[in-house]
Amino acid sequence: MSKPDPMKTYETHKCRLLRVYGLTEYEKLFLFRFDDPEIAQSWRFMPGQFVELSLLGHGEVPISICSSARRMGFFELCIRKAGRVTSEIHKLKPGDMVRIRGPYGNGFPMDRFYDRDLLLVAAGLGMAPLRSVFLYALDNRWLFGNITIINSSKLGKELLFAKELKAMKDIATAENIEIIQTATRDPDWGGLTGRAPTHLDKVNVDPKKCTAALCGPPRMYKSMFEQMIALGYDPRYIFVNLERRMKCGVGKCGHCNIGTATSWKYTCKDGPVFDYYDIISIPGLI
Amino acid sequence: MRYVKLPKEKVCEFLERLKSMGTLYGPKKISEKFYDFREIGDVKEVEFEYNRTITPPRKFFFPERETVFTFDTANVEIHETLPTGNRIIIFGVHACDIVGLRIMDSRFIDDLPDPYYQIRRENGIIIGLSCLPDEYCFCSVRRTDFVDAGFDLFLHLLPDGYLVRVGTVTGHKLIENSPEYFEEISSEDKDNFAKFETKRRSMFTVQGNWDDMRYRLELHLDHPMYMRESDKCLGCGNCTLTCPTCRCYEVKDLPTLDGAGGERVRFWDSCQFRSHGLVAGGHNFRPTKKDRFLNRYQCKNAYCETTTTAYCVGCGRCTYFCPADIQFKENLLEVYGPGGGA
Ligand SMILES: Cc1cc2nc3c(=O)[nH]c(=O)nc-3n(C[C@H](O)[C@H](O)[C@H](O)COP(=O)(O)OP(=O)(O)OC[C@H]3O[C@@H](n4cnc5c(N)ncnc54)[C@H](O)[C@@H]3O)c2cc1C
Ligand code: SF4
Ligand code: SF4
Ligand code: FES
Repeated sequence: MSKPDPMKTYETHKCRLLRVYGLTEYEKLFLFRFDDPEIAQSWRFMPGQFVELSLLGHGEVPISICSSARRMGFFELCIRKAGRVTSEIHKLKPGDMVRIRGPYGNGFPMDRFYDRDLLLVAAGLGMAPLRSVFLYALDNRWLFGNITIINSSKLGKELLFAKELKAMKDIATAENIEIIQTATRDPDWGGLTGRAPTHLDKVNVDPKKCTAALCGPPRMYKSMFEQMIALGYDPRYIFVNLERRMKCGVGKCGHCNIGTATSWKYTCKDGPVFDYYDIISIPGLI
Repeated sequence: MRYVKLPKEKVCEFLERLKSMGTLYGPKKISEKFYDFREIGDVKEVEFEYNRTITPPRKFFFPERETVFTFDTANVEIHETLPTGNRIIIFGVHACDIVGLRIMDSRFIDDLPDPYYQIRRENGIIIGLSCLPDEYCFCSVRRTDFVDAGFDLFLHLLPDGYLVRVGTVTGHKLIENSPEYFEEISSEDKDNFAKFETKRRSMFTVQGNWDDMRYRLELHLDHPMYMRESDKCLGCGNCTLTCPTCRCYEVKDLPTLDGAGGERVRFWDSCQFRSHGLVAGGHNFRPTKKDRFLNRYQCKNAYCETTTTAYCVGCGRCTYFCPADIQFKENLLEVYGPGGGA
C-alpha cells in the first residue's frame, strides 16, 4: 500500500450552495455542488458518513450527508440551527460559497445490508443520516428485500422529511416499502403516536433476515435493543450512528473520544457507525 | 545494533556539532525545582541529570498553538501555513518520553496523517539520554523504561562518558560525519553499562508490570477513589498539558477586524476542562468533574497497538505538576488492589 498523502487529510473543497429548503422551524435542507468539476466527478461517500463544513471566520461543524450517494457532484445537508456556526449557515443564500472536507467516518457497511430486509429507525435529527441509507436502498432497490422506515419526533411538525416520505407512500406500498411516521408527544397530531419501539409490530421486515440501522437519542437505543433482541433480530445486523462533540473528524483532536481503558475509541474515525456488539462491550457508548 | 562510546571530554564538542546542524533543544534548569526543554545557546547549559521537564517533547512537533491556515473570506479561499521543514535536534530525551513520541506518531501519522506534525517529525533528530528514577517515576511497570526504537542515538551514562546506541540511519550518519568524537566500546564499558542498568532497575518504587491495569480499572469503574480524588481536582489541566502523550486540541477561527480575512488556529485542549465535552444546546458528554477525571484515567490506561504499551508512559509529570497533589500512580495502585508491584 502506498503511503497516505498527509495533504489530503484536512483538504477542503469549495462548494456552492444551490438551493435551500425550509423543513421545520429549526431545520433547513441545503443543496451544495462542488465548485471544481473534477472534484464534483470524483467525490464519493457512503451513507452514515459526515462532512466538516467551514464558514471561514465563524468555524467548522460536522454534519451528516443526508442525500443519495448516487447523485454525483451534489450533496445535501439537513442542518438544525443549534448554535453559533449553524445559525450563520442558516443565513446563507443560494450562490454563497462554503468549504467542505471529508467525507469522514466509517459509514454504514452497505455491502453487509445486501439481500436482506432493511429496518431504519430514526428519532429527530437521526433522520438525516438514515435518509441517506434510505435513498441508497431506493436507488439500488434490487439489492434489498422488504424495507421499513420509522421516522419519529416529539411533535408532528418536527418530523424531518415528513412531506417527502408522505409523497412516496403510494409508490412505496407497491415496492414493499413501509413508511411509519409517529409523533411521540403531540396531542394535536392526527397521525400515529407513541415512540418508535411501539411500532415494531407494524413493520414488513423479517427479523431473522433483516439489517437494522438506528439513529436517535441513547434512550431510544436502549429500548429498541431490548425489543429487537426479544423479537429475534440478529445482533450482528443491528447498527447505530452515534453523535459526539467533534472538531477534526479524523481521529486527532480527541473531542469525540468514548469508551473505557480496554476499548478506547474515537467516534469520528472508529465510528460514527457502531454495531450492537460494540455497544455492549464499550461502556458509555450509549 | 551498533554501539560506540562518547568520552566525557568530547560531549561538549559533539553538542556543538549537533547545534551546527539545525536548532538544538535540550533540558535546562529553569528554576529552583524545574527543568524544561529549551533552545540551547551555550552547550554548557545542557542539564544532563534532570528528573523531568515541564513540557513534554511532543511540543516540538505539535506546538501549544499554531495557525493551520489563513483565509480570505470574500473569495472563500484558504492558504495553508505548513511548517518550514527546518531541522530540529532534541537532545537528552528520556526513554519514557521517546515512547511518548512513538505513541504520538501512532495517532498523528496514521492512515489520515496530520501534515503539520508529520513534516516537523520528519525533520527532527532525537538523541536519548539514560536516567535514574525518582519516586514519581513508574515507567518500569509501563514497560517504557528502556526503548528499542524512536531515537537516532541513545546515550547511556558511563563513569567516563556515554555508551551510545545507534538507532537509525540518521544516527549512523551522525557518527560517521564526526568520527573524531567517538571510540570503540571496551569490555569495561559493557560492564559499566550493565551495572548502571542494574542500579537503575532496583531504584523503582513499583516493580513488575501493569499490562492488566486497564482491566482492573474497567472492572471497578465505580471505585470510590474517583469521587474522593476528583473532589480535590481544580480542573486546571496541568496533568494533560504536561503529559507526553496527551493530544487533544481545540480549533478556532480568528477573523481580522474588517472580517475580510483571518486565520484558523489550533491549540492544546484538556479533557479536564468543562468545555471539552460541551455541545450545542448546553449538553455535556462529561458534565461532572468526576466524569472528566475518570475519562483521563481510562484514556491514559488504554492500549496503544504500535508500542504495545499503555498511553501513559509513567513519566510522573501529572503528579509532579499537580497543584492539588493528586497522586496518579498511588490512585491507580489503589484501584488495582494488592499485587500492583508497590
Ligand atoms: C457525526 C455528526 C453528525 C452530525 N450531523 C448533523 C446533521 O446532519 N444535522 C445537524 O443539524 N447537526 C448535525 N450534527 C450536530 C452539529 O455538528 C452541531 O449541531 C453543530 O456542531 C453545532 O455547532 P454551532 O456552532 O452551531 O453550535 P455551538 O454550540 O456554538 O458550538 C460550537 C462548536 O462546538 C462543537 N459542537 C457543538 N455542538 C455539537 C454537536 N452536537 N456535535 C458535535 N460538535 C458540536 C462544534 O465544533 C461547534 O463549532 C452532527 C454532529 C456530529 C458529530
Ligand atoms: S493537574 Fe491535578 S488539579 Fe489540575 S486538572 Fe490535573 S488532576 Fe486536576
Ligand atoms: S499520564 Fe501522567 S505519568 Fe502517565 S505519561 Fe501522562 S503525565 Fe506521565
Ligand atoms: S473529532 Fe477529533 S478525534 Fe474525533
